[in-house]
Amino acid sequence: MSKTLNRRDFIKTTSATTIGVATIVSGITLTTFANANKMPVTNEKRWGMLIDTNKLTEADIDGMVSACQQEQGWGSELHSTGNQKPGWIKKLKVRDKATGKISNLALMCQHCEQPPCVDVCPTNASMKRKDGIVLVDRHLCIGCRYCMMACPYDARSFVHETLSNQKEHMPRGKGTVEACTMCVHKVDKGEAPACVASVNSDAVIFGDLYDASSKINQTLKTIQSAQIRADLNLNTGVRYSGI
Amino acid sequence: MNRLLVVFLTLLVSSVFAHTNEHANLGERASSIKASGKVFHGSISIIRKMHPEFLRHKRDKTLRQGVRTDEHSLKGCVSCHANKNKTNNQYHSVDKKDQFCSNCHQQVGVSLDCFSCHRTTPKKGSL
Repeated sequence: MSKTLNRRDFIKTTSATTIGVATIVSGITLTTFANANKMPVTNEKRWGMLIDTNKLTEADIDGMVSACQQEQGWGSELHSTGNQKPGWIKKLKVRDKATGKISNLALMCQHCEQPPCVDVCPTNASMKRKDGIVLVDRHLCIGCRYCMMACPYDARSFVHETLSNQKEHMPRGKGTVEACTMCVHKVDKGEAPACVASVNSDAVIFGDLYDASSKINQTLKTIQSAQIRADLNLNTGVRYSGI
Repeated sequence: MNRLLVVFLTLLVSSVFAHTNEHANLGERASSIKASGKVFHGSISIIRKMHPEFLRHKRDKTLRQGVRTDEHSLKGCVSCHANKNKTNNQYHSVDKKDQFCSNCHQQVGVSLDCFSCHRTTPKKGSL
């Protein structure tokens, strides 16, 4: 007994299968896209930065600072004076005593693996995400500023005045400590931090230190690089070459 | 006796209606969503009672774990519930007097601390 498939039945079954497959496939792609920020970050990644001080010009550093100010909305405080002014990223001149060689560094939170600011925080507000980004949870910060004293890089600032019109992604307020967030809101979207994006050359590389195929990992394997105050064994996420 | 009962019932019914009345200052986008018949919050009473817990839970997940979804995000609250000043086309801050957040918080005497750090108006161009 043989059953022949007529034209009408064939069209019906094929179209039904196509629609079915298409629905499932689109469902899968949709969930993969949606999952990007639904899952907690893991320690399979460690975000880091490599700054080549030979390639980085002073103008580049100024550009990085203003890109940071624009992105995060700091630097226009009216009542803070002198040391009260926040500085998430700063330009630093280092002179070699023997040769007199001057290098310009962009210095910000170094996103240590063993951050002293986290060790000293009495309220657990100073914290490190699993992917290595060190942040201040301002919900818990009581403004004691121990972390500012503990940080060997002077990377943190304290907000001394009432603020308004903050950036939507970067809440900031009087009485809390703040620092470079490695533009965590951008990194979570798969973008590079604002300061990295502002430099046109490859003087600043951002990426996953653990990923063997990433540019930063490969460059760090081939060139000589240093951590600032490597003697403290903090294993910083921000590395420098040319110093 | 019956008269007393009537008075009592009237008070009871009116108090019930007093609590189900419309929010005076729902916010620009929230009003248009409501007018279009879409349901955004599953239950108004749950969101009224539980929004501090929702926000607190979400803030920890976002800040500490990098979970950035729209659900229960404070940005989302502000973007829908902010009102515009009709004369200069600028947003009112949600924590200013008689605006969406402060309206109830003033009435129940609960201080509102979100906005000493968080932005009180939607970002320009987000609507």
